[in-house]
Amino acid sequence: MASQEKKKNITWKEIKKQKVLIIWSLVLVIYGVIFYYLPLAGWAMAFQDYKPKNGLFHSAFVGMDKFKQLFSDASFIRVIRNTLGMGVINLIVTFVMAILFAILLNEVKSNGGKKTVQTISYLPHFLSWIIVTGILHDALSSTGIINELLLKFHILDQPLNFFAHPKFFWPIVAFANVWKETGWNAIIYLSAITAIDPSLYEAANMDGAGRWARIRYVTLPGIKPTIMILLLMNVGNVLNAGFEIQYLLGNGLVQSVSQTIDIYVLKWGISQNDFSIGTAAGIFKSFVSIVLIVIANQIAKKNGEERLF
Amino acid sequence: MKTKKILSVLLAAAMMSAMFTGCGGGDSAQTGTNADADADANANSGTQTGDSGNKEASGSGEIKEFTAFFAVPGSEINDDNEIQQMIAEKIGAKVKETWLTGQSAQEAVGTLIAGGEYPDFIDGGDGMAQLYDAGALVALDDYIDKYPNIKEFLTEEEWDRLRQDDGHIYWIQQFGNIYGEEKATTHNDEAFWIQTRVLEWAGYPEVHTMDQYFDLIESYNEANPAMEDGTTNIPYTILCDDWRYFCLENAPQFLDGYPNDGSCIVDPETLTIIDYNTTPTAKRYFQKLNEEFQKGIVDPESFTQTYDEYIAKLSTGRVLGMIDQWWDFAYTVNDSLKQQGLDVKGCNYVPLPITIDEGIKNQWHNSGGTLNVASGIAITTSCKDVEGAMQFINDLLDQEVHDLRFWGVKDVDYNVEESGEFSRTEDMRMQSSDTAYKASHACTYSYFPQYTGTSRDGVNAMKPENQPAEFYDSLSKNVQECFAAYGAETYVDMLGTSEAPGPWYPMYSYSNNMTTATEGGMAWTKMGEIKHEYLPKVVMASDFEGAWEEYMEVYNGCNPQAFVDEMQAELDRRMAEAAKYN
Amino acid sequence: MEKNKSGKIKTSVWDKVFVVCNTLFMVAFVIITLYPVLNTLAISLNDGTDALRGGIYLWPRKWTFKNYITVLQKDNLITGAYITVARTIIGTLLALVANAILAFIVSRKNFIFKRSLSLFWVVTMYVNGGMIPTFLLYKNLHLTNSFWVYVVPGMVSAFNMLVIRTYMAGIPDSLEESAQLDGAGYTTIFVKIISPLCKPVYATVALFVAVGQWNSWFDAMLYNRMSSHLTTLQYELMKLLSSVTNQGTSAEAMKNAAGTVTPTSVRAAATVLTMLPIICLYPFLQRYFVTGLTIGGVKE
Repeated sequence: MASQEKKKNITWKEIKKQKVLIIWSLVLVIYGVIFYYLPLAGWAMAFQDYKPKNGLFHSAFVGMDKFKQLFSDASFIRVIRNTLGMGVINLIVTFVMAILFAILLNEVKSNGGKKTVQTISYLPHFLSWIIVTGILHDALSSTGIINELLLKFHILDQPLNFFAHPKFFWPIVAFANVWKETGWNAIIYLSAITAIDPSLYEAANMDGAGRWARIRYVTLPGIKPTIMILLLMNVGNVLNAGFEIQYLLGNGLVQSVSQTIDIYVLKWGISQNDFSIGTAAGIFKSFVSIVLIVIANQIAKKNGEERLF
Repeated sequence: MKTKKILSVLLAAAMMSAMFTGCGGGDSAQTGTNADADADANANSGTQTGDSGNKEASGSGEIKEFTAFFAVPGSEINDDNEIQQMIAEKIGAKVKETWLTGQSAQEAVGTLIAGGEYPDFIDGGDGMAQLYDAGALVALDDYIDKYPNIKEFLTEEEWDRLRQDDGHIYWIQQFGNIYGEEKATTHNDEAFWIQTRVLEWAGYPEVHTMDQYFDLIESYNEANPAMEDGTTNIPYTILCDDWRYFCLENAPQFLDGYPNDGSCIVDPETLTIIDYNTTPTAKRYFQKLNEEFQKGIVDPESFTQTYDEYIAKLSTGRVLGMIDQWWDFAYTVNDSLKQQGLDVKGCNYVPLPITIDEGIKNQWHNSGGTLNVASGIAITTSCKDVEGAMQFINDLLDQEVHDLRFWGVKDVDYNVEESGEFSRTEDMRMQSSDTAYKASHACTYSYFPQYTGTSRDGVNAMKPENQPAEFYDSLSKNVQECFAAYGAETYVDMLGTSEAPGPWYPMYSYSNNMTTATEGGMAWTKMGEIKHEYLPKVVMASDFEGAWEEYMEVYNGCNPQAFVDEMQAELDRRMAEAAKYN
Repeated sequence: MEKNKSGKIKTSVWDKVFVVCNTLFMVAFVIITLYPVLNTLAISLNDGTDALRGGIYLWPRKWTFKNYITVLQKDNLITGAYITVARTIIGTLLALVANAILAFIVSRKNFIFKRSLSLFWVVTMYVNGGMIPTFLLYKNLHLTNSFWVYVVPGMVSAFNMLVIRTYMAGIPDSLEESAQLDGAGYTTIFVKIISPLCKPVYATVALFVAVGQWNSWFDAMLYNRMSSHLTTLQYELMKLLSSVTNQGTSAEAMKNAAGTVTPTSVRAAATVLTMLPIICLYPFLQRYFVTGLTIGGVKE
């Protein structure tokens, strides 16, 4: 695939041959320009002291002031750390869990059992964060089930208030993400697994491959393109570690580790009527995302793996 | 497969048309001034079915329809709501109300302004100043005189306080307006609350200071560590969730005997701003909480519980006492206690007149309305019939319509005694709190101007909850007993009433609208952040002095003086305004 | 699977251990997953103020349908349901067609703009202009106060395109080449050869888009706030929730919102109602995931 980079073959003949493709991609590009790129004019807000009444074209230009304001604020730096930290942890654990779950579910022999488990597995996806955090609060409260169990097995001698300790916050968030999204994220892997040629499994069986070998040499390679592409995509998303869950689970005692960029923007931007600062933070996030994505893509390309573009 | 082809053709067509209109749109956006936005709004309102009614309808007996948006969350009523229809037939107009959903007020108002299209009526909540800045509102001064009910609604001085810096009035504050004699029954505001069973057990003692309050709770809890069914009591809990952490932080102003200015203390003698976060009383209060926390009196989950959990806790009747605003807990908790029969076991809350030391006059409850000049109902430039809109507000204040709004329909929602007094049966009371019934039947136009106090008939209260007999009947036996023991008839009597504070009041109407654009506003936001994080730490610390010192250091690091200065300037401005009337 | 015999002796012990462990894992997984869902169901069927006492696990203590009645009595719910179904069907079809076409184009190995076109779309995943500029754009396109704002703006998504593209990349080139030798153009190849093979991934993407469409409400609020005939189911539910979720900062807002149902119970009922259609729909889509097996057989 990589060897096919013959740039020279952009000939009239080739263009003519690909006429249909070009026309269609043109149509789609026009669509993309209108709906995704045109609103980027709004980025101008980050360089202005934007006031809704003046609109985009008549607000005062302030240059890089908003960015300076962001990066000179110690709490913004802290917020970046939190966002990155939670983003990376969430990315890794949700990824591993979804793949693991898909593979293990695929090993379940009973067809009925498989379907039932899968149908149940994606239900949490539809619970809103406010319900999920409510349940988490219940389970982790000092009279909740977790404390009860820990006391029973003498791991603790008095109930622990999990939400009062900053060190537990990131793990709790990661767990909540895993719990809510594992089944849903696994759908795409399961779909990829079902598309693997059964004859490959048969061949593996003929060779006397055990279960582990089948997973290792047939299933995993079969879903590798899917894994790689999703991994690449999500690398760009680490700064989108979230808003709702941290907002709902956070409290004064843990706010030094719980606040994400989005919460910061809400606090210092939107609720202060300052749309510019929110836009500046958004540009920063986009910038980091694209840099990460390009790096990851280059690495993938070097190793001859699937890549995004 | 054929359908797919057709669809893709449709798709292409849709995109092409989008493209062309897109280009055109881009041009007009470039010249997008206010005038342009107005023109757009005009063009668009023609397509809105709701708007078209109010253009030429006046006088023809047709019912005008207006639209309204309130940048606060609220319940929408059904389109075929009965009382809304009755009012519409009476006054010839109705309003379709929409409320804030899933956005902040500023965001909602921000998009409205960007789009240049507004509903006829608007209350922008925290975004009110933005609307004014954007020139979205119609100046009302010229109209007010023509509408007697509106004119009468506020005093000349109050109207002037609503004037913006260009000298015009753009909105009418709907609430806090008392007609005739005040009929305060519930203390709607903040207080130290305690369950009646605690007071009853102790023989209804006089409790005046913070120390006495906690002593009482401690000794009750020692004697009765659990409820009848074996659930252990939670002696004292503190709500600390998000903006509701006022339950933790603002007590020092009350303990020193000042009213709820919200963000600072105003010394009425010298007219200076005092920061209540750093007063000796503040330190004593938090030290007390710290002691009680170490003793296990303060709920260890105080600082991590959510609002929902807090309400659930209170609803079990386990919590002996807490500090909170009545409206923040009572509506839900009282219903729940009643359902479980816990109200007759003394689990209802009554307020106590607590101060830091004996002999300080408490100002937990003030008489007089609170005019929050920061927001109100306004008419927008998109409204085609400003006179009709004003007429609508005017008519809503008619006694007959006002009764329909808040009491409901005679013989259906309330009875009229021979003396002319309104009363409700238990069934009527139940019905009036039913959500479904409210949506299909009741229409209070709750964010339009309204009165509390006494009705124009001189007998009844403007709203049912302030009707003395009505109020007393709905109380549980235990609360009635408790009131009797203290010689009180209402919640307000438990605290005593203070005179209305000076004309500056309340200062929070200013601090709520501060933004990080000013130094003082920046300090104010930072102070909030710091307090949110450090106050729980201070209360939980094993070494209080050390923790307090650390807190003070960080606190002073965010420049509270800038905030105090800005508040002082506002106070001076308000006093100067008020001086014109003396 | 009789062919297992040869490896059976060696692996049987481990196999059994694995099966037992795996089953245990699945059971644990199901319990941990299902409990909160059932708990939500129980709370939704329990009296609101009674539920505040806590202690409700899998079974309601004080049965009531009041929460559901409150939700279902909402005005405009029928209109909302109608619009939601319409946007789900039309939106899913449009998105599927658009993404499939795009994926087809970028997965042609010799397409000359392959890389730049991919990049063009990948970038859209990580940038956005913010709420206000987007609002202005839609307004100028006359998408506000119209049904099309639900289905046109989010039609092409890079994520869905990439998912389909990855799948298409796994289809052997020989199929395309032999079709080209038979004189088939790209349109024919796309419609007749590639698409039938892509059913599993189409089903997956359709599910993703449909769920997104079904659940979205922000667009209804932002762009069609004043057009009550264009309201959606989820927006109506959100309005209900935000009126019972007492987030108002004033006494008036609290009084306005107070009632005999509580936020928790109404939220639970609304959640259950939201989940229901998707749960019903899923088995049908799941069938397509399974047919992936038979289709895979063509691959040689």
